Amino acid sequence: MKFKTKIKTNIKLIREELKLTQQDLADRIGVSRQTIYFLEKGKYNPSLTISFKIAEVLDRPLNEIFYQEPVIKDELKEMKLKKPYKEVEDFINTQDIDHNILFQIGDIDEKELSRTFSKEFLEKVAIFLGYKFEDLFIDADI
Amino acid sequence: MNEEEFIYIGTISRDYIKKEVLKNNLFLLLYAGIVSIISFYVYFLDSGFDLDLFLILILTCAVAPYVVVALISALYFSAYVRNFTYKVQKDSIVINHGVFTKTRATIPYKRIQNINITTGIFDRMFKTYTIKIETAGHSAVSSGTTRRGIGPEGYIPGLKDPHIIENKIKEIIAKISTTPSGLEENIFKPEQLAFDNFISYVLSKMREGEKLKTSIKQLREKAKLSAAKLAEKVGVPIETIHYLEEGKYNPSLLLASKIAEILNCKIEDLFELA
Repeated sequence: MKFKTKIKTNIKLIREELKLTQQDLADRIGVSRQTIYFLEKGKYNPSLTISFKIAEVLDRPLNEIFYQEPVIKDELKEMKLKKPYKEVEDFINTQDIDHNILFQIGDIDEKELSRTFSKEFLEKVAIFLGYKFEDLFIDADI
Repeated sequence: MNEEEFIYIGTISRDYIKKEVLKNNLFLLLYAGIVSIISFYVYFLDSGFDLDLFLILILTCAVAPYVVVALISALYFSAYVRNFTYKVQKDSIVINHGVFTKTRATIPYKRIQNINITTGIFDRMFKTYTIKIETAGHSAVSSGTTRRGIGPEGYIPGLKDPHIIENKIKEIIAKISTTPSGLEENIFKPEQLAFDNFISYVLSKMREGEKLKTSIKQLREKAKLSAAKLAEKVGVPIETIHYLEEGKYNPSLLLASKIAEILNCKIEDLFELA
């Protein structure tokens, strides 16, 4: 099993370090300010050419600007904010799991994922978070 | 999730019979009352009438029609109540109703727009409620009632505690809407992906000066992978790999990083801005 990942970015941090505004960055790359906004929010999967240009302008290698993160990580963070504490507690009790392990799913090494959790358990977690299993994990070992 | 827990079967209260009998025969009752009152008035003014004859007159003109009609409608509505069942299922509500013509109405939750609970004057007398489930677009044939031409699609009258079913429906609707709908799957079907790739290809053609140099082919051959195998691992159609190798297609960062991961190299090794 694998995590479904999404692209996250440090653009905002690096941009602020270089004392650039969103507009400055947008102008240098040749895109609109909205593009930068959505990029920083992580709501936009940039094309490779734009990514290269950003790397060029910010003068950093690509992997320092962009990184992949399991989708479930954000979802667990969201859950902490949104789901009532009681609901989470109930879920933990009915599934008979250690309190911390639920929050650690996103941090676990991918190789450990299948060993630590059964597919059935991850399916339940996905449903609890309001997703399907396929939205958060990839059930394949190719 | 257990399928069983969704299913909730309910029937309607027998108070519905009393309510309907009262409601439908109200005019006849008024008529009977008025006729009786007027007749008594006439009788006391002009005492030439024979009492027996007078009582028979009242009985046949006013009381008998009322009793007959009330009896018939009581029979009809008790049959109606007996035949009326509703089922709250996992994906739809099923309402079975009808005395002479039996109808089975299925309302999928996806189409429900609002749920109204109404209680009229007669309803309040017997503490019953009517649930109306409205869907997108009224249908000419309404379910649950034979008397209304156009109305809500789901019509469950004579409920003693409407909040049980209302909450049940709301709960299920909430569950359905929090799980992602099929929309995303539909957009990212492989056929559509191919179309997406085609559009990206056209767009990248239009954007001159955004050309990418790529060494996917060399690295792929070095890793002893066929284009088809690589496409399978990445999860894209093989055409995408072909376009990429020809440098005709500007991939998204996610796609590029997937390929880099599989070929075990950096994105910068794979692609370069020309």
